[in-house]
Amino acid sequence: MAGPSPHKPRNRAKKPAGASQLRTSITDNTLSPSETVIKTPLFPLASLLWPARGSTSQWNVLPFILMAVGLFRWAAGLWGYSGHQKPPMFGDYEAQRHWMEITTKLPISQWYFHDLEWWGLDYPPLTAYHSWLCGRIGALVNPDWFALYTSRGLEDPTLKIFMRATAMVSEYLIYIPATVIFVRRFSRACGASTWSASLALVAILMQPATILIDHVHFQYNTVMLGFVIATLSNILAGRYMWSAVFFVAALGFKQMALYYAFAIFSFLLGICISPRLNPSRFIGIALVTIAAFAILVLPIVLGTLYDVRRGIGPHPGIDGPPPSLPLFPQLAHYLDPEASYYPVIEQLLQMVHRIFPFARGLFEDKVANFWCALNVVIKLRKYPSDLLQKAALVFTLASIIPPNLILLLRPRKQLLPAALAATAWGFFLFSYQVHEKSVLLPLMPMTLMLTGKRGLSRDSDFRAWVGFANLLGAWTMFPLLQRVDLGVPYAVITLLWAYLLGLPPTSLSAYFPDGQSPWLKWGTAVLHGVFYAAMAAWHVVEAFIMPPADKPDLWVVVNVGIGCAGFVLCYLWCLWQLVVQSDLLPVAGQGKGKVADLRKTK
Amino acid sequence: MAENFPTLGQCALVAGAFKVLLFPAYKSTDFEVHRNWLAITNSLPLSRWYYDTTSEWTLDYPPFFAYFEWGLSQAAKLVEPAMVRVFNLEYDSWRTIYFQRWTVILSELVLLYALYEFVAASQLSTKRANHAAALSILLSPGLLIIDHIHFQYNGCMYGFLILSLVWARSKSTLLWSGLAFAALLCMKHIYLYLAPAYFVFLLRAYCLHPKSVMRIQFMNCIKLGGGIVAIFAAAFGPFAYLGQIPQLLSRLFPFSRGLGHAYWAPNVWALYSFADRVLIYVAPRLKLPVNLDAVNSVTRGLVGDTAFAVLPEITPNTCFALTLFFQALSLLKLFNQPTWDTFIGAVTLCGYASFLFGWHVHEKAILLVIIPFTLIALKDRRYLGAFRPLAVAGHVSLFPLLFTPAEFPIKTVYTIFWLILFLMVFDRLAPASPKARFFLLDRFSTLYIAISIPLIMYCSLGHRVVFGKAYEFLPLMFTSSYCAIGVVGSWVGFMVVYFAS
Repeated sequence: MAGPSPHKPRNRAKKPAGASQLRTSITDNTLSPSETVIKTPLFPLASLLWPARGSTSQWNVLPFILMAVGLFRWAAGLWGYSGHQKPPMFGDYEAQRHWMEITTKLPISQWYFHDLEWWGLDYPPLTAYHSWLCGRIGALVNPDWFALYTSRGLEDPTLKIFMRATAMVSEYLIYIPATVIFVRRFSRACGASTWSASLALVAILMQPATILIDHVHFQYNTVMLGFVIATLSNILAGRYMWSAVFFVAALGFKQMALYYAFAIFSFLLGICISPRLNPSRFIGIALVTIAAFAILVLPIVLGTLYDVRRGIGPHPGIDGPPPSLPLFPQLAHYLDPEASYYPVIEQLLQMVHRIFPFARGLFEDKVANFWCALNVVIKLRKYPSDLLQKAALVFTLASIIPPNLILLLRPRKQLLPAALAATAWGFFLFSYQVHEKSVLLPLMPMTLMLTGKRGLSRDSDFRAWVGFANLLGAWTMFPLLQRVDLGVPYAVITLLWAYLLGLPPTSLSAYFPDGQSPWLKWGTAVLHGVFYAAMAAWHVVEAFIMPPADKPDLWVVVNVGIGCAGFVLCYLWCLWQLVVQSDLLPVAGQGKGKVADLRKTK
Repeated sequence: MAENFPTLGQCALVAGAFKVLLFPAYKSTDFEVHRNWLAITNSLPLSRWYYDTTSEWTLDYPPFFAYFEWGLSQAAKLVEPAMVRVFNLEYDSWRTIYFQRWTVILSELVLLYALYEFVAASQLSTKRANHAAALSILLSPGLLIIDHIHFQYNGCMYGFLILSLVWARSKSTLLWSGLAFAALLCMKHIYLYLAPAYFVFLLRAYCLHPKSVMRIQFMNCIKLGGGIVAIFAAAFGPFAYLGQIPQLLSRLFPFSRGLGHAYWAPNVWALYSFADRVLIYVAPRLKLPVNLDAVNSVTRGLVGDTAFAVLPEITPNTCFALTLFFQALSLLKLFNQPTWDTFIGAVTLCGYASFLFGWHVHEKAILLVIIPFTLIALKDRRYLGAFRPLAVAGHVSLFPLLFTPAEFPIKTVYTIFWLILFLMVFDRLAPASPKARFFLLDRFSTLYIAISIPLIMYCSLGHRVVFGKAYEFLPLMFTSSYCAIGVVGSWVGFMVVYFAS
């Protein structure tokens, strides 16, 4: 898996060059003086891990953390899933199961063509390979689960256990090791203690939105997120080519990883041009990326060629002339349908066409992004979709250029989580075709910010903001979960996380940090307070009052509006943190515990 | 004074969140049993409670528990009226599940309070250790499996037991301890197993003068006796008035059951039965007579009527005599040395004796041993040495209660989590013993604990891969024999420690 991470001696050499910039020498991995002075834990999670405070090694606590978060995931999985007992189409669960069915039962060249109306495959190849593997293993247990056609909408309780297990195992093989390694590296790079790194790890692994979507509602987002975190870990370790490979894997699993692509690209480009021009590094990364993409599609290309030789085409049911090329029908004028490369081109175009559905609208359903919120005020449907697409492009670019420019100019590893978060927020808020589950993408790097030196400390507002984003994010997914009666796991998982981190509605301990100006303290507290009050009030209204008959979606629309406003704040906060930490502004950045760029951790 | 972290309340909250998530998990027939009791107590007059046979799960707990169910049913009626109808068998709507599961979680607050009192009452030097012991009971996998998945109300009742044990600590609350225990007996009569220790302890420490056995403290005797009579009158009085005591007793003590329960609880009889099975193959060489009926009995161990092929049959009287004998051994010492530590030790040994030698013992009864033992397990390292195999064996023996695949990861991971965490923490907190340790015992317990992992893997997965559906009794037999060795081993170890200290 990601990075070798052999267990190094605990107290290895402290910060290399540049450490002189640090205020003090508190870079030991044991507790810093300010932490040992604290007599009582700041929030319940700190209290739960209190006895582990003296331990110098992460490994004493890690097995317990992994078991505990696993237990919560599995217990949450006992509840229903998306589309449970919701014929005719069922939901995401059926989509994932169906992909296991088609990938194991059909020749590879038909994967992206088979009966597109019934949850046709619309994810990149790595998801298809993953489905194939899971389907193969599942068929050993019970072949009926993935029988072609007859298994559609199957609701076997044992199948549910198997599907839950695949999500669990996939996460434990990819997301969790990647996160553990990332937290270890990043906290060291920032000079945070081992103990507070363990706290951050629990906070990251217990993120309500991720558990609710992957282990309750059902999807495999953590695989993609895990590859992205592995990308970051490799960047921290200075293995830039490996990071490119992992990022291609993330893109290859779920196209949604494109939300991060700009930030990763800006960083990798940044380290190729500063502090000095490094063309060989640039070429190396570029070649590795291309090679990784090639390997990613290689099974599909080879499989298509093999199927052609066997006389199997992608459209088994259709007689007569083959259908026109997907995406770019005009290409057909330049290509010879009889040529040996033609099926491969057709296959790849179909894949891209399936993955990027340009033909769909600006937004689907109700999602807490800018367009959907704007739609409440101005009916966007009356504008031509061309214009809307261009508007989306302009807005998205405008929102992602500032963070990426900063990252390009200051390619520091410590900036990565904030830069990724800001970029992903930009995409989530302004881009085209956003789904409510996409909020997992900005939440992931933003939550990683808890790992840093200031992440969970007494004198920063990170906990307040990261907590706010996560709780708001989970809240905007409530309508989605409520549709399949998942209100109880939603409430339990979300409130538990809020409780563990001492956030509203359970506690105010994250607010009024030491050493901030009173204006900022009160400003944050009041701002968040308004949102939390609105969220709570919304739940009460939604539960007890029917929406007016002519506006059945009113509560959802209100949810979207509040969510969007909050997410804009989160975007601005991430951007602000980026500016502060990058020292671009001379005043703001002073004495903020910034850490010099860590060239290598080896 | 510095508080210990994490606090009991914090752990209870996080564990509570986990328990709520377990609502849709597997639930045994005990769920329907308790729903039926809600229905009986709510919709039938008191005179019919112990006579109703609409459901096969008749009321067979003492009256205080029936009153408790009656109290719950008042709320249940508001939540879901259909839940409390007697003829509504097997009713398990979502509201019913929510309601019943919540009552288990909320009634466990008694346990939380009792543990809080236990820690608060301990001396400063042992506070940390007692805090850890309290957390281990609060988070016990036994209670999680039995109460929150399988479904029962043990958390609440062990809460009363601990409260009573804690009150026994100080002279001023000794009376309350006795009365609380009497009330507990009127809730669930399984605690009769522990009653001999209470009797001897209260007699010696409360009714007799501390200086001399010959001087009786009459005032105390009257207070205690009067109190107990009042409590029993409150419980059984209404039924005595109706002349239903014989019927009630026949419900509480169904002597027609067999030696073993549905599957063998890990006690001496499990080992006895295992030895019998082995002897079937050895007996012809030794020229011993073999009872062929028993050999061919396919269901052996699965239904009550066990017949032994080679070894002599066991009668209820044998069980009774053995139990009393081993209880009496520990009580002699308690009578001579009526300290709190000895008292807890005697309660534990009474639990052990009845679990190991009792008639028709249920595997859930292991909590009768584990929970009192936990209170003194951290006294010193010798106690801990005896506790360790018990903790492993006792909890592993509960695994067959949950046989559905969805709960498999929960029961195993949670138990392993608990075992590693608390055995590690206990190891760090238990002070060295003033006396020499028994090294052989330590080696035995390490080896023993190590074996549990391959055993669990074989029983849950390996067996099915190797034999398929055949020999289904084999994993159960291995589990109960393995656990029996652990329980017996820890019993022997603890006996030595108890009598040596």
